[in-house]
Amino acid sequence: MYLNDFEYFAPKTCGEILDLVGRLGTKAKILAGGTDLLIMMKEKMLKPDYLIDINDVQELKGISYEPGKGAVIGTATKISEIEHSDLIREKYFALSQAAGELGSAQVRAMATLGGNSCHASPAAETPPPLVALGAKVVVKSIAGEKELPLEEFILGNRKTTLAEGEILTKFLLPEPAPRSASRYSYIGLRDAMEIDAVNMAVNLALEDDGRTVKSLRMVMGSVSPVPLIAVEAQGILIGQVFNQELMEKAAQAASVEANPISDIRASAEYRREMVAVLARRLLQQAFNAASGTKEGNW
Amino acid sequence: MKQLITLEINNRVYEIPVDPKDLLVDVVRKKVALTGTKKGCGQGDCGACTVLIDGEPVLSCITLAIACQGKKITTIEGLVAEDGKLHPIQQSFVDHGAVQCGFCTPGMILSSKSLLDKNSRPSEEEIKRGIAGNICRCTGYKRIVAAISAAGETISSEGVK
Amino acid sequence: MNKPNYTQVGRSVPRIDGPLKVKGEAIYTDDMVLPRMAYGKIKRSPYAHAIIKKIDYSKALELPGVIAVITGEDGPNKWGIVPQTANEVALAVGKVRFWGEGVAAVAAIDEETAEAALDLIEVEYEPLPVLLDPQESMQRANEVRIHEDAPENILHAGEQLFGDPDKAFAECTYVLEKEFHTSYVNHAFLEPHTALASFDTPSGQLQMWSSTQVPHYLHRQLSIVLEMPMNKIRVTLPAIGGAFGGKGEASPADFCAALLSRKIGRPVKVTYERSEVFATNKGRHPCHMKMKIGLDQDGYIQAIDFDNTLDGGAYAGWGIVVMFYTASMIHLPYKVPNARARVRRVYTNKPTCGAMRGLGGVQPRYAMECMLDEMAEMVGISPYELKMKNAVESGYLSVSNLHVPHTEYKKCLQTAVEKSGYLEKHGKLPFGKGIGLAGGYYISGTAYTLYQAYKPHTTVLIRVDTEGGVTVHCAAADIGQGCNTVMAQMAAEELGIRYEDVHVVSGDTETGTFDLGSFASRLTYASGVAIKDAAAQINQKLKEVAAGMVGCRADQLEIKDGRFYSKFEPKKAIEWEKVVDVYTNAVGTLVGIGHFSPPRLKGIDLTRGKRVQGANIGHSPTFGFSCQIWEVDVDLETGKIRVAKVTEAGDCGQAVNPMSVDGQVEGSIMFAMGQALYEEMRLDAEGKMINASLHDYKVPTAMELPEIDTTIVDSYDPTAPFGVKESGEGPVQPTIPAITNAVYDAIGVRFTDLPITPEKVLRALKEKQALNSECSGS
Repeated sequence: MYLNDFEYFAPKTCGEILDLVGRLGTKAKILAGGTDLLIMMKEKMLKPDYLIDINDVQELKGISYEPGKGAVIGTATKISEIEHSDLIREKYFALSQAAGELGSAQVRAMATLGGNSCHASPAAETPPPLVALGAKVVVKSIAGEKELPLEEFILGNRKTTLAEGEILTKFLLPEPAPRSASRYSYIGLRDAMEIDAVNMAVNLALEDDGRTVKSLRMVMGSVSPVPLIAVEAQGILIGQVFNQELMEKAAQAASVEANPISDIRASAEYRREMVAVLARRLLQQAFNAASGTKEGNW
Repeated sequence: MKQLITLEINNRVYEIPVDPKDLLVDVVRKKVALTGTKKGCGQGDCGACTVLIDGEPVLSCITLAIACQGKKITTIEGLVAEDGKLHPIQQSFVDHGAVQCGFCTPGMILSSKSLLDKNSRPSEEEIKRGIAGNICRCTGYKRIVAAISAAGETISSEGVK
Repeated sequence: MNKPNYTQVGRSVPRIDGPLKVKGEAIYTDDMVLPRMAYGKIKRSPYAHAIIKKIDYSKALELPGVIAVITGEDGPNKWGIVPQTANEVALAVGKVRFWGEGVAAVAAIDEETAEAALDLIEVEYEPLPVLLDPQESMQRANEVRIHEDAPENILHAGEQLFGDPDKAFAECTYVLEKEFHTSYVNHAFLEPHTALASFDTPSGQLQMWSSTQVPHYLHRQLSIVLEMPMNKIRVTLPAIGGAFGGKGEASPADFCAALLSRKIGRPVKVTYERSEVFATNKGRHPCHMKMKIGLDQDGYIQAIDFDNTLDGGAYAGWGIVVMFYTASMIHLPYKVPNARARVRRVYTNKPTCGAMRGLGGVQPRYAMECMLDEMAEMVGISPYELKMKNAVESGYLSVSNLHVPHTEYKKCLQTAVEKSGYLEKHGKLPFGKGIGLAGGYYISGTAYTLYQAYKPHTTVLIRVDTEGGVTVHCAAADIGQGCNTVMAQMAAEELGIRYEDVHVVSGDTETGTFDLGSFASRLTYASGVAIKDAAAQINQKLKEVAAGMVGCRADQLEIKDGRFYSKFEPKKAIEWEKVVDVYTNAVGTLVGIGHFSPPRLKGIDLTRGKRVQGANIGHSPTFGFSCQIWEVDVDLETGKIRVAKVTEAGDCGQAVNPMSVDGQVEGSIMFAMGQALYEEMRLDAEGKMINASLHDYKVPTAMELPEIDTTIVDSYDPTAPFGVKESGEGPVQPTIPAITNAVYDAIGVRFTDLPITPEKVLRALKEKQALNSECSGS
């Protein structure tokens, strides 16, 4: 399994990348971790004429944080860096969990946060927590920069809004609300190296009373071409005092909202059911964490 | 189009003509003749081709050789000491019966090294997570986990790297 | 017979190839490069069943770097591991019968060019209807025929009758009849098939290096396909990266490398991609089984009726052998006085099934151990008690004439039950948690060669001299199981020296003496006999010399710890090396040659004294036994099964290398757990495999490793060399039924098809719930 011939570029700055993508257009592909791109090239699903390797561009890497404003994660930041970041674990736990569950140690050392979103696989691990955490992406071109929510960036299976000449440069994560918590989980056959049959992230914030749901984001993966926000389910809980009955209602609503397909990994029916299971478990965990209740002791 | 690149493998610098499309696994095996790095699937699923790049475990079957310039590449051949003595992880694999057919072994040992370099006393769960990307079909993993744990103890008590 | 006090046998020593393997210096076939070597690649069919109308490779030949292309016509002789059913060809001739079958092969200056050339080979096909299900294949045989000489799309069908099962069933108190279906699984060894052929045109000699577990059978098949005498072909094994039966036949990689090499007069290497490993398969046969078991009022088995349809895929392979093994496996490890087996192996348009670790045993064992679990409930006793009642004992002769010289099966059951606390837990754990027990056995070698020759199955030559020390020659195949280490230990034991001082030359048909290969768990036993035989000759010669040096009679000498000494006056002693030195100086190199021929046991219905078709298959010089107890937690919401603990106890006779035995057992447990819970090759409606990768074909990772507690029970088979039995295939037998029984104990559902996926578990739980509420509602 060999790759097609291509010309290789390893720019050092964002400006150089923009220059290259502007010049080379759709015949070029951005090489970040390569864990998806190179496999697709090996399987001859893609035959780009140019590869632009962005791993040497320091300004696209790393995690920074400013209290009150939130975190900024460069597009070329490795999943393993996110997995091991104390800051991410403390502030954006669902993302930390998703990063830790992605592929294997090798894949996490290679793959990047930006790659995981730009590849736009419906089963991707990090987009659901990012969307749940309210992440925005920064898209840059020679013309300038724009910010948009990640859920608007991912359009479908392997489709994003990225137009010719544009690249994704970073993720902006807002400061988590007080008394909030986020959780992520997935359903797969094995406990490693899985393509998730279903995954989900929940980000829940409580009012000062520690019981009423102030805001909630529930995002499901692998049950729709894009990370799917469970709007109905959220509506059931927002503004209400969190309780078992409403949680169950929300879980059922999420299950109805899911739009899964049957494939080699799971049937649509099973996926739909698992949405309810994940919703129940994650809502409970997130509520416990946000309210300061001990886990599992609600 | 071939270009001459410089790769640092096991502390030795090689000048190698490559095409941009050449994968690290092929360059290491065919051009540098370090055949300890194995190819079990070619799709990043089995971990047999694992090498360390700047200490991180990387799947060389889905890594471009040209992208590895300026980095420190370690293959299994780079672990034996100058005097021929086995690295503690290698010794531990031999002593614990963690090797059968040996095809996963180089990648498995390199994943272990990356893990132990960061934390020489990992829990059993951490070891399993650390090697979850390395498929072994012979041993059932039990002896591998034991070998890594014991090697970690040796390393932390002797301070070997 | 008391177990002797061994010093080399019974020691957990590190394997002799360990250091090279951990250093990355062990050389596997694909690591080899020869001067002028070319690379071969195989063009494969996108159709599962089609007539090849035309192959045009002129454009491929025009690609710079391409040296030659061959098609089926270049080597059309039919080969097959079982000569009576040989129907495979190196590359398809006239027709393809499964997705991925090779139709042409290219040799080029590098692998990349060879791969690119494949796209330039134009093949015109006329697609034929595709048969993927064995029932459908039999039903539609009039309309669609996969092989011209198999009008019913059946390779072979057989019936075996022992005693009078119908009469026995009529008298039984408890009778249970059930159907079971097993899945389509692959070995997933880590090293893909690879072969390097070097044909020397001037001398007409062919040197092959191949990743095979049967150098001898590969040797024979090469001779057939290439029309060359075996003495012009040499097969050499570099390190082998796992096999598990998947390298237990020649592969098209071997033939294509050899044919291309002969055509172009230079070495050619063919290494498969992972997808090609799946496409050429030879994995476990999916079995569609009906089993009926009858017990008397006290719970003793009176009769078994077994019907098995094996889905064989496109070609014969090991098929007929696997088929009759499934029939033989109902006769042990329990006493079965009456039995009938009706078996048939059916062709379908799938990658061919073949031999896979524990072949022929895993499927019927699954059915039988699950049914006995269920029948124990009918009788009102624990499955442990039922199995203890029926377990065979040393010296048992089955109604099919299988002879069990020695067994510690009951000790295996007892040990596992005690260590796991099975009796305290079974039936008493909270809903969702369960514990399951199953037993099993396997052969330690076969009674016959596959081509009806009655020559010795293994020959060992031991060479001793001052220069080389001790070298054991045998063309056995160390495929990772560690036979070289075990042979060194056994030779050292018999010669009275240390295993570290024994060199083993194996895996070569020229420098090694004859051996049939690594399959049927035969090697420790077979080589053990031959080693003892050869070593006895060496010892005799050396004792004669040592006697003069020590000053006592040769027959009063013992050899131990590298010394000859008088057993009556131990102070009279001399170092082993000194004796060898004197012998070498006086006579020259000393050799001893030992042979192993298994007993020629016959498959007979002992109640009638009549030969039974196919029942010679299943006989073995001795058998290994084991018991496994699995504890599982079922997630009642997701259906996911988490294995909490496995307790195993095995009778492998005297363990030559206990650490190595444990490795075989642990490996077997995870291997079979994959089939029980995760693995299955899937085909689309056209027969194309949709998960031919390690991405979607899910073998267990380290994350799936449960707590495993293994025990090698104290055992010594007095009829076996060093008291040994098998240990590499028996332990896969109990796994699947033990898991299934544990799941039943957890949720009250008995699964009869594999793998037991979370989705199936959840569906079953729901059906059970619906049934319960229906019952309580009425």
